[in-house]
Amino acid sequence: MAMNVPPPRDEEAEVASDVLPCGRTLSAVWEACDDGTTAADPHLAACPHCSAAVADLGVLDDFVRRERATEAEAVAEAERARATSVTDRVMDLVRRELRPGRPLPLGEPAEDLWLVESAAARTFRAVADAMPGVRAGSCRVAPVAGAGATAEARGPLRVRIEVAAGLTWTVPELARVLRERITRAARETLGLDVRVVDIAVVDVLVAADDDAHRPNGRPR
Amino acid sequence: MREAEGTSTPDALLAVRAGEGDEEAFEILVRRHGPVLLRLASRLLGDHAEAEDAVQESFVNAWRRLPEFRGEAAFLTWMYRIVTNRCLNQLRARRPTTGLDAVPEPVAPEYQASPVRAAESTAAAAALSDALAGLSAEQRACWVLRELHGLSYEDIADAVGISHPAVRGRIHRARRQLMEVMGAWR
Repeated sequence: MAMNVPPPRDEEAEVASDVLPCGRTLSAVWEACDDGTTAADPHLAACPHCSAAVADLGVLDDFVRRERATEAEAVAEAERARATSVTDRVMDLVRRELRPGRPLPLGEPAEDLWLVESAAARTFRAVADAMPGVRAGSCRVAPVAGAGATAEARGPLRVRIEVAAGLTWTVPELARVLRERITRAARETLGLDVRVVDIAVVDVLVAADDDAHRPNGRPR
Repeated sequence: MREAEGTSTPDALLAVRAGEGDEEAFEILVRRHGPVLLRLASRLLGDHAEAEDAVQESFVNAWRRLPEFRGEAAFLTWMYRIVTNRCLNQLRARRPTTGLDAVPEPVAPEYQASPVRAAESTAAAAALSDALAGLSAEQRACWVLRELHGLSYEDIADAVGISHPAVRGRIHRARRQLMEVMGAWR
């Protein structure tokens, strides 16, 4: 970019030394604007220097508002296309670097059949996601501890799944239904010998709120 | 998995799933947050093609690092950090470091189409965009993250890799400079 200004060096000193003719610092006046506390200080409205500083910031804010409004409007089409193409490229690369996890024993003890953990976890998460108001998070599948389990040992398995659930569920009811469905899916869909299903409810889901995806509440 | 029925899966759950190797959960995160991160990168780099590359690389980088992601920050905040970092590195690499006494350089041709102008078309946006192009990379990053993306000072400090007071300083300086330019336009 064009650097038609020298690089910032004494900004912090500049902030402190930016004093208006009335003795207030510019940064204090702008902070009052940011915090919405200008009304609490009669000097700001009475003083021509301070009110000019407030007005200047207002002009800039106005541009910001317009910029945000524009972005909310029609830019959409081209932007969506770009976002889609980036998503496709990202996922192409990601699929070349999958993390399938450990192999899990499948079928009868005499067989040499294995299923990777990520595939089993996908099935169990889907079981949870299919329940109304339930969303799965972490799901780990491993040999039951103490069964002399090494990574490659054949033996019974333990599933540990975390879910978020809406307030319509009580935890015991949710745990009972989910445990039963996971055990059944393990047996009937996958052919895995799952003996233990640990369920942790890690979050409460409140009906679709998009604000949950923003780092803080401010609009953009 | 598909994002269909009513309740959408919170980012935190998707990020954990992605960390455990669930690429479909990761795809939902990329679709959900790609647009805003592209907008950020376009504003910082002033070029759509470069912005796409930066965001693409940032997401692939995130996929590799997700197994270590402990959720101490929100996923999007974490992505803001990765993308900002990536863009600042690119801006710093564009030209040799300007010395303290360096003579101001004329506007580079690549910047005729400057950060916001590329995306927005109103006169105000164009004026703001030109004014933004005159800021240093860090000033611009701080100001854009604060005013156009609504990040907290703490998150900006993290994203840009400077102290909290330094963020305030950059934003203050940016505002002063933007006002000078916009004052003439008003």
